[in-house]
Amino acid sequence: MTELNDTLSVERALPPMRSFSAPFWEATREKRLMLQYDRAVDAYQFYPRPASIYTGRRRDLEWREVSGKGEVFSYTIARRARPPFRDHEPFFIAMVTLDEGVNLMSNVIRCPLEEMRVGLRVRPWWLALSDGRHLPLFEPDR
Amino acid sequence: MALHHSAIVGYAETKIVPKSEIDVWELGAEVLEALLDRTGFEKGEIDGLILSSSMTGAGNNFWSQTMADQLALELGFCQTVDIGGCSPVAALARATAAIDAGFCETVLCLYADTAVAENNGRPRSYGGEWTNPFGYLGAPAAFGLLSRWYDEKFGLDHPALAKLAVAQREHAVLNDLACEKLRKRITAEDYLSSRMINDPVRLLDSVMPCDGASGLLVTSRKRAEQRGLDKIVVPIGYGERTNIGADKAIVDPTITGHRVAGEKAFAQAGLKPADIASFHPYDDFIIAIMMQLEMLGFCKHGQGAGFVHETDFLFTGDLPLNTGGGQISAGQAGLAGGGTNLVEGVRQLFGEGGARQVKDTRNALVTGIGGIPYGRNWNSSVVMILTPNG
Repeated sequence: MTELNDTLSVERALPPMRSFSAPFWEATREKRLMLQYDRAVDAYQFYPRPASIYTGRRRDLEWREVSGKGEVFSYTIARRARPPFRDHEPFFIAMVTLDEGVNLMSNVIRCPLEEMRVGLRVRPWWLALSDGRHLPLFEPDR
Repeated sequence: MALHHSAIVGYAETKIVPKSEIDVWELGAEVLEALLDRTGFEKGEIDGLILSSSMTGAGNNFWSQTMADQLALELGFCQTVDIGGCSPVAALARATAAIDAGFCETVLCLYADTAVAENNGRPRSYGGEWTNPFGYLGAPAAFGLLSRWYDEKFGLDHPALAKLAVAQREHAVLNDLACEKLRKRITAEDYLSSRMINDPVRLLDSVMPCDGASGLLVTSRKRAEQRGLDKIVVPIGYGERTNIGADKAIVDPTITGHRVAGEKAFAQAGLKPADIASFHPYDDFIIAIMMQLEMLGFCKHGQGAGFVHETDFLFTGDLPLNTGGGQISAGQAGLAGGGTNLVEGVRQLFGEGGARQVKDTRNALVTGIGGIPYGRNWNSSVVMILTPNG
């Protein structure tokens, strides 16, 4: 089995928070994954936006907690990276389709090269950030 | 809008270099001087200026005004187009619209960027929150994800991609203005063995960031005729699409805005893909060329590789491809890089391709790709069809 780097020792820059994305980030303090949901059309969206991608309006948007389970939509093996990821290559970057029907970009860790494939079932693995927030990474849901 | 009421009366291009010693404003002056010399226009006759995006200019909220001031242009119309790699072709489209609306009559379309020497970009995007924390390298990672998806859906034919890379490199060898470092022939084997950057994207799939400038002088057909200019190039079809599938949470990333933009451009020009004499697609990654062949209707969706194997893309072949080398083999002049594909199309229609002149100059198709959205393909797609003498 070929193990890629799990990138857990990378000192990642703190992501900024915007007025309309703060609920996502605040929920990560408790390792909860929250998505924007549009009541009017019964659909989720990601990444968080200031308006519904479906209707252009804000009033029907709410935040709903989801399991974070999903499957790999596509992936790439990063063999070159900028700091702070430099010298931590190779590692996986993937788009994950959550069961709620949105795509989310992240790293897939604890996954041997031979196991990775489009369609692989994954679950969240929460990486602590220095300010108490967490980043949702993914690992195989075996 | 009547695109064909405008005419390109001149083109100009600087040498593409790995890092410019010359200031971006002086590159602009080099393009302006070449256009004045070529067309016989005086500076005072230029009353419109449209700039492409520029990483060097990105720190300046007054970029088009500042360039106009540096070049001492007095204008009735002045703007920067900020749709990334699409902006050189889009600037030409906007020039025809501004001329048609009577805002101005003679427009300098100027594409200048010294992104390697001086990158002032500090993009405010989704990146800080949603991609940078995962070691995402920007475009190469985006094309890695896209290429893997294409591979899963249709299968990636690496020899077909190699053929495109080799053909463009042959053309760069014949282009004195291409970045010298890239003017060396490559073989399919060189492509296939080049190192992986963002698996399955290889080094020889990717553009090399460079510095350079290019530009066009665009005026009304009427003015061109009054001046007795017998060599002109006329835009006859244009389509533009930004954020295709904007209202969908998940899209098929192998479908791009070039499909709808292309349909519009072909309908306007009264042409179909089989009529296209030379093809100058925006090329930031080799797979983008194949995807554009599919989206523009040269072949069916997912069958690009078969078309590539059947087609001769050399300047002597049946569909000459990026005859100056494209950006992948001539170097990418930052966000002005789309000017490289555009100016080469114009040059061919003027019959000034020199050692790489194509035989069929009835028309040329030029495209743009601009911006990298979150986990899709690209933000903007533009398609322009040009013909000599209207």
